[in-house]
Amino acid sequence: MASKFGLAGGIPERRVRPIWDAIDSRQFKNALKQSTALLAKYPNSPYALALKALVLERMGKCDESLSVSLQAKDLLYQNDSTLMDDLTLSTLQIVFQRLDRLDLATSCYEYACGKYPNNMDHMMGLFNCYVREYSFVKQQQTAIKMYKHAGEERFLLWAVCSIQLQVLCGNGGEKLLLLAEGLLKKHVASHSLHEPEALIVYISILEQQSKYGDALEILSGTLGSLLVIEVDKLRMQGRLLARQGDYTAAAQIYKKILELSPDDWECFLHYLGCLLEDDSSWCNAASSDPIHPQKSVDCKFSHLTDEVFNSRISDASTSVKKLQADTSVNLIRCPYLANLEIERRKLLYGKNNDDELLEAVLEYFLSFGHLACFTSDVEDFLLVLSLDKKTKLLERLKSSSTSHSTESIKELGRFITLKKIQELIGNTYKLLVDELERSAVQMSEMYCKSLPLSKDLDPQESIHGEELLSMASNVLVQLFWRTSNYGYFMEAIMVLEFGLTVRRHAWQYKVLLVHLYSHLGALPLAYEWYKALDVKNILMETVSHHILPQMLVSSLWVESNNLLRDYLRFMDDHLRESADLTFLAYRHRNYSKVIEFVQFKERLQRSSQYLVARVESSILQLKQNADNIEEEESVLENLKCGVHFLELSNEIGSKSVTFNEDWQSRPWWTPTPDKNYLLGPFAGISYCPKENLVLSSVLDFMKEREANILGVVERKSLLPRLIYLSIQTVSACVKENFEVNGSICDPKVSSELKYLLDRYAKMLGFSLRDAVEVVSGVSSGLNSSEAFGADMVGWLNFAVFLNAWNLSSHEVVLPDVNGCRPSTWQVVNTLLKKCILEVRSMESLVCYPQLDLSVLVQLVTEPLAWHTLVMQSCVRSSLPSGKKKKRSGSADHSTSPLSHDIRGSVQSTSGVVEEVAKWLGHHIKKSEDEKLDAIFSSLEANDRGDGPGQVFRLLGTLISSLNEAELGDRISQAMKSWSPVDVARKFVAGQRAGLSAFLRICESKIKSLQALKQQMAQV
Amino acid sequence: MTTIRRFCCNDLLRFTSVNLDHLTETFNMSFYMTYLARWPDYFHVAEGPGNRIMGYIMGKVEGQGESWHGHVTAVTVSPEYRRQQLAKKLMNLLEDISDKIDKAYFVDLFVRASNTPAIKMYEKLGYVIYRRVLRYYSGEEDGLDMRKALSRDVEKKSIIPLKRPVTPDELEYD
Repeated sequence: MASKFGLAGGIPERRVRPIWDAIDSRQFKNALKQSTALLAKYPNSPYALALKALVLERMGKCDESLSVSLQAKDLLYQNDSTLMDDLTLSTLQIVFQRLDRLDLATSCYEYACGKYPNNMDHMMGLFNCYVREYSFVKQQQTAIKMYKHAGEERFLLWAVCSIQLQVLCGNGGEKLLLLAEGLLKKHVASHSLHEPEALIVYISILEQQSKYGDALEILSGTLGSLLVIEVDKLRMQGRLLARQGDYTAAAQIYKKILELSPDDWECFLHYLGCLLEDDSSWCNAASSDPIHPQKSVDCKFSHLTDEVFNSRISDASTSVKKLQADTSVNLIRCPYLANLEIERRKLLYGKNNDDELLEAVLEYFLSFGHLACFTSDVEDFLLVLSLDKKTKLLERLKSSSTSHSTESIKELGRFITLKKIQELIGNTYKLLVDELERSAVQMSEMYCKSLPLSKDLDPQESIHGEELLSMASNVLVQLFWRTSNYGYFMEAIMVLEFGLTVRRHAWQYKVLLVHLYSHLGALPLAYEWYKALDVKNILMETVSHHILPQMLVSSLWVESNNLLRDYLRFMDDHLRESADLTFLAYRHRNYSKVIEFVQFKERLQRSSQYLVARVESSILQLKQNADNIEEEESVLENLKCGVHFLELSNEIGSKSVTFNEDWQSRPWWTPTPDKNYLLGPFAGISYCPKENLVLSSVLDFMKEREANILGVVERKSLLPRLIYLSIQTVSACVKENFEVNGSICDPKVSSELKYLLDRYAKMLGFSLRDAVEVVSGVSSGLNSSEAFGADMVGWLNFAVFLNAWNLSSHEVVLPDVNGCRPSTWQVVNTLLKKCILEVRSMESLVCYPQLDLSVLVQLVTEPLAWHTLVMQSCVRSSLPSGKKKKRSGSADHSTSPLSHDIRGSVQSTSGVVEEVAKWLGHHIKKSEDEKLDAIFSSLEANDRGDGPGQVFRLLGTLISSLNEAELGDRISQAMKSWSPVDVARKFVAGQRAGLSAFLRICESKIKSLQALKQQMAQV
Repeated sequence: MTTIRRFCCNDLLRFTSVNLDHLTETFNMSFYMTYLARWPDYFHVAEGPGNRIMGYIMGKVEGQGESWHGHVTAVTVSPEYRRQQLAKKLMNLLEDISDKIDKAYFVDLFVRASNTPAIKMYEKLGYVIYRRVLRYYSGEEDGLDMRKALSRDVEKKSIIPLKRPVTPDELEYD
């Protein structure tokens, strides 16, 4: 049946080949022509139809493609004599998959397998279909059939993996593992196993059932020889023994591994853990997040007697000494860092005070203090020291390093280490301002002094001492936090920009600049630097958090759209292709990867960022089109009137999300997107929140963040539906109001709107009734806008939708203000005016930071925009439709109270936007020179020679006296091109570009409101 | 201070700081996952204290007859852990697997002709320039195909340098 005798799907190969070639070379028109001709010759060939469907799909004609492929499918089913060959089936499968109709592909294969029950190709195809659909049970059933039919080991393992997936990723109970074990046992008895991966799966099945003894027995038997890499096998044995509680044997195994690879740090930790009978590393591994491993400070060994503890520790020390002796020729770190771990355990057990650990760190410093990784090596050990001890340690390190000056690269390395340790310890808040300044100057001086060391390096390699400028800029930002002197902040920027002039590839500088510029409202410039990081593929999942949150509340719609589009495309592509890659792992018999791939896909699918991006990209579209109700309606139509997101919101309670972001590279002052210490006053605390992050259990932190994000998504995903319903209900009510005999207001729409408002209010923390009181309280002036808390935008949205609903329900009864009852229209008008003008007038908008600008942007682009839509809907419905003449019986629109309200609201809203636009225009027009002067005067020397600008001026002096011979041509040229004025200009231009983008948005709104006024005049 | 173990999918979410370095390419997902699905023994990661990713190596084994060989697709070490012979360790591991498990004849790799530091390092590890591939990198820069013979190639035939350069379409494998 297959393509034997040169036949492909019953058609001679030579006729088909050119079509495939045309498809491969993307000449789809040509391919279509040829496939149509082929179909004319073979009108009843499912293969010819499938080919045509494939071409149509590639041309983007999805509807046609689906109908042609369905024809092919019908033919396949109808005609018993047609060829049910693999080529036809797989071609159809490709088409259906591309059309997102996996179900149809599956049913084709199910049919084929039913018809030819012993055909292995079809069964393989069917198995593949189930892999794509993540139908683990059906996968298992199909694989078992194949196993029974062919008796091959791989099909058994396919079935076993499918069982394991049911337990790990589906809803299968653990008892299923017993079935998998039974299947394997039986097969091993009769056929043994031949693939190392099969053995790995076998062991994992036993391990998941806590049958460690059985697993160990198998591993030490003949099957064990399948694992060729000795260390891998030993690691497995060690783990199984430890989990079984046989610590003595496990320790022996780990000791053996250390002899084979003495630098294996994780192995040493296991070794010591086993000696001290501490199973926490195995227990923690199960509960902790593999992406953000928890730093565990605690160990478990309280049950050991003093005597036992002493003897075990002395065993460990002996082994470590031996390792040190064995590796003395080739100095490696593990056997020396091991001493620190031993001292740490002793300290935690209460054997020692922390002086011993301190000495051990000191000793380690003498050998390895010059290495860039020294600080991260010892980071976990410093966690158990008190702040006083840490300070003492730093002093000791400092004094030991002065006596220890050899070659200059090592000397530089030690200098950097000392500064890094200082940063890590976070006691800089105790330093005086001028001490901190001196520290920044020192670091920058050292950086410049060390540049000659990098003279001969390839321009792409990192420069010796590159970290110094990041650290100097960190100190400067802290000085800014402390003194509120903006000059320090500008200086921090200059330092990093200088570093990038010397070597433009330093990504750490770019990341810091992204945050610094964002904080100062020069978001377009921040975005430029972000783009320079060349973030692509999986890095979009881990790195986007540096820019995305700021962009989503900004006026940079085009750029935000690009970011979201690229990211969503990446995620969707991966989720789509992941199953095919899983099948590849099945085919190549790498069964452990099968499980891994499916779990990884689930992890990405549950990504918090992915969830947020999906909701935000729809909201962004709604924002972008809000000035034109027809366009907005077509966006809403594509969003299925918001129903899909409503469902998402309903289901949110049952969701759990994953965090895949790399937080490590964020600057100290904003360790996560929802935290920014610079917005609060200087707290006089350690500026090392990263350390706090470690201590306050990563898991708690994740839980808190998860709750935050789910809350935000739950509320935001109501927006599309709320907007849709508001437009609908308003339109219906206006018609009802203006047309004498028209009663078309749909009570369902109104009650759904009420229900959603009720939910929205609850999310704001109030009942609907109380929430109404809050908005009316603020609008009447009874309360200030502080009643809204941090969520002014959310409250104004509520007020806007409340007004829309009230048009149909008239249920909202507002309290009297000075003897008259305001309408909800008036409430919205007043709130928009009050809040927007209030935020606008804040001084911080014109100076720094500019974060309130994002609130202003949100107020204009969200509640105000949604309200404009409500008004557009009103006006559209009140206009005489088409060319029809005014009906004689209709009321006089222009004098109705509703008309009056709308007119007033249009007037008021456009007044508010005009005010904002005027203000923006004023700031944009401000002269560049004036701004440049402000920047540079903040960096000028004062009479006392202290304050900001010291590092900046130092860099200037060094450049003016640089020694070209010493620095080499490349670095000299780069340094000569350093232009602080250009940096300042770019910064000013960046801020201006952000404001201009906002101005354009306002102008478009003004236009749209003016058009509304004109339309109203016609009514 | 290195625990070398098989690379797994979650490492893709943890190698950020290694990959932001501009000499390290971030490939698309199907590229990584195809390597994981087909040659998991050729894809290893080195972890340091605090579970930090120090670097990784990815490669494959392919070819027919006497050109059955291991191939290094990428090897990278985070700046923090450079100058500690980690690349050497990772390369040795891949060579060992090619030699002992897959019984390959040689290991090869491609490097930009301008990347002198890398070429020097590979030479130190025993690799020789086997041939030059004209305009191998995006049709612009030449690549060097470097090779190291394994124990199965007793006479070291696989590494006798070719006299003239080849073009990318003359290459046997991608």
